[in-house]
Amino acid sequence: MTKRRMFLRMITASLLRRRSRMLIALLSIGIGATILAGMVTIYYDVPRQMRAQMRSYGANMLLLPEDGETLNSEKLANTLSQFPEDALVGAAPYRYVRLDMTSRQQSFTTAGTDFEQVLKTSPYFSVEGEYPSGTRQVLVGKEIADTIGVKVGSSMELTWQPAVTASTGDPSDDWQPGAALAGSAEGFGGSMVSVTAKLDDEAKISEITVDASTQTPEYGGRTAEDKPFLKQFIGKALPLEMGGDIDALTGATVTSTAVVEALNTSHAAAAGAQPRTVRYDVTGILVTGGEEEGYVFMSLEDMQSLTGEDKLDVAELSVSADEEQLNGYVENITQSGQGVTARLVKRVTKSETAVLGKLQALVFLVTVVVLLLTMICVSTTMMAVVSERRREIGLRKALGASDNSIRVEFLGEGMFLGMLGGVLGAVLGFVFAQVVSVNVFGSSITFQPLLLPITVIVSMAIAALSCLMPIRRAVAIDPALVLKGE
Amino acid sequence: MALLELKNISKIYGELKALDNVSLHVDKGEWVAIMGPSGSGKSTMMNIIGCMDKPTKGEVLLDNVDISKESSKHLTDIRRDKIGLIFQQFHMVNYLTAVENVMVSQYYHSMPDEEEALEALGRVGLRERARHLPSQLSGGEQQRVCVARALINHPELILADEPTGNLDEANENIVLELFRQLHREGTTLIVVTHDPEVAEAAQRTIVLEHGRVAREIINENFVD
Ligand SMILES: Nc1ncnc2c1ncn2[C@@H]1O[C@H](COP(=O)(O)OP(=O)(O)OP(=O)(O)O)[C@@H](O)[C@H]1O
Ligand SMILES: [Mg+2]
Repeated sequence: MTKRRMFLRMITASLLRRRSRMLIALLSIGIGATILAGMVTIYYDVPRQMRAQMRSYGANMLLLPEDGETLNSEKLANTLSQFPEDALVGAAPYRYVRLDMTSRQQSFTTAGTDFEQVLKTSPYFSVEGEYPSGTRQVLVGKEIADTIGVKVGSSMELTWQPAVTASTGDPSDDWQPGAALAGSAEGFGGSMVSVTAKLDDEAKISEITVDASTQTPEYGGRTAEDKPFLKQFIGKALPLEMGGDIDALTGATVTSTAVVEALNTSHAAAAGAQPRTVRYDVTGILVTGGEEEGYVFMSLEDMQSLTGEDKLDVAELSVSADEEQLNGYVENITQSGQGVTARLVKRVTKSETAVLGKLQALVFLVTVVVLLLTMICVSTTMMAVVSERRREIGLRKALGASDNSIRVEFLGEGMFLGMLGGVLGAVLGFVFAQVVSVNVFGSSITFQPLLLPITVIVSMAIAALSCLMPIRRAVAIDPALVLKGE
Repeated sequence: MALLELKNISKIYGELKALDNVSLHVDKGEWVAIMGPSGSGKSTMMNIIGCMDKPTKGEVLLDNVDISKESSKHLTDIRRDKIGLIFQQFHMVNYLTAVENVMVSQYYHSMPDEEEALEALGRVGLRERARHLPSQLSGGEQQRVCVARALINHPELILADEPTGNLDEANENIVLELFRQLHREGTTLIVVTHDPEVAEAAQRTIVLEHGRVAREIINENFVD
């Protein structure tokens, strides 16, 4: 038998055959290690959990089109694909359009969005009734609902007015009766003839201007000035029929036809952008206490079929990441050349970081205090063990144990206890953290393999430290005094 | 040849002279008994000889080494290598079995050897009780384990402080018989006792009174 085996035999005998005393020491180390392991797990897991939790405070990132660019579904999808899957909690697209409720002579800012995503990015939204789930359904902000007196189950007619006059591409905010039509068509010799016309309230032509400067002045060129020719157009509704509604100017048939064609083409283009009215069912009233109550919400599909265009103004993103990661995502998106910029909602990001920092500091502090208490507890127990074993220590010394042997034996026992307590603590601590996580955050955590060695090593270190004072006392025991027969 | 030589040693506790100018000469292989009333300084003397205490004055030569000047670390080495101790209270490590208790002595001395430890227990007639804990042994059996432990490392000197103080007649005889065997093997024995019968088994008896050697009795009837 080697010395080491005898050493282990003595230590295990001491632990196994003096159970009650050692159980107390083991228990205190075990509890300390449990709390340590639990706290470490929570320390590393809480930011993840909390971040997910805090996403309920709303979006923390906005995607916007760059100046002069437009945002649409495809660009949004491309941008979102840059996020790791588990980081993206939700991404709600928004298209804001002003719609008229003609019956009440009111108009409301209406948002087309994806309600499934809104639930994720704005979980604090509260809805009386339900979110729209089909087509031709709207969610009405409480403020609007109160003003116009709509309830869940009632319906409202909303009218979209094209914001842009047909074919000129000239943006003008409000479509007015008397909006201009403009177009051009191939005239004589393939040169272009341009026409602008104004429409009255009944969409009949009230004014017409022809630019035929590209045509031969004596022939086609005359269409621009010939009053009788131009007069034929006034009061007529589009489209026009050549020969029916309009007679060609003599000697300028080709140019006259081009004028009619230009009007018809631009009218056809404008027809797609004509006001449209749709009746929507109100499925819910939105209560947020914020400015959202002044909006009407409908699905993006409804918005697209109403306006005939796939366009987004902004997307609100809820991203689960720390501030540094968020900044990284912003950088990536801005550099991806999609014409999309990302912006952080600073208020949300900052407060998240601050809260998490404080929480971690708290957990750290509690852990340190618990470890100190554990140390005091283990130290006290070991102190009691030493005085209980005074005779034995004296005897060992009388039998020839050097001070170092005594130190090594006690340290060995202490660290063995530390190891047992550490393993026990790692397992119990994980269970403890799991229970906390499930009860507080409603989600489970994964076991960190590193937790076991860390807990065991720290427990052994704590046990060793706790043994220092007791060992000093053990070494000081005088064998002569002990053996004299107390 | 002298194994132990005490030269005018005194041990003074404040006013009290536990040992007062004591001199003693013990030859290698000799068997000496020490008697005296309670408080006369017997245990004090044993502790000094056993390298667990130092005299206030005087020299202690063990194997021609002056142990009264050694550091306590060195004293531990000397005790471990040369001396086997037996105590009145038969101190055992209470969570170790009989054989393990014997092996503890081997462990500090050199190498634990279970076979040898079992043999030593056999010598004191306790081979079958080797796996028993002290609480499962009688006082006499425990003292016999302590004898086995004291002799396991083949010390030159065995110091026994009232080894039979708590034993009945039968166990006392077993222990005395073991001492006789050890004496025959050449081990030097110093035995403190109150019991004249135990003292008579030795070759020589030193009587202490008030820390001084009062008289010395040679046992004429000693049979080797
Ligand atoms: N550490 C100490 N401090 C003070 N006095 C002590 C100390 N150790 C022993 N003494 C005293 O020294 C004297 C001798 O004690 P010692 O133990 O040697 O006696 P003893 O002969 O062994 O007695 P007993 O037969 O009762 O065991 C006693 O009066 C005792 O009180
Ligand atoms: Mg005594």
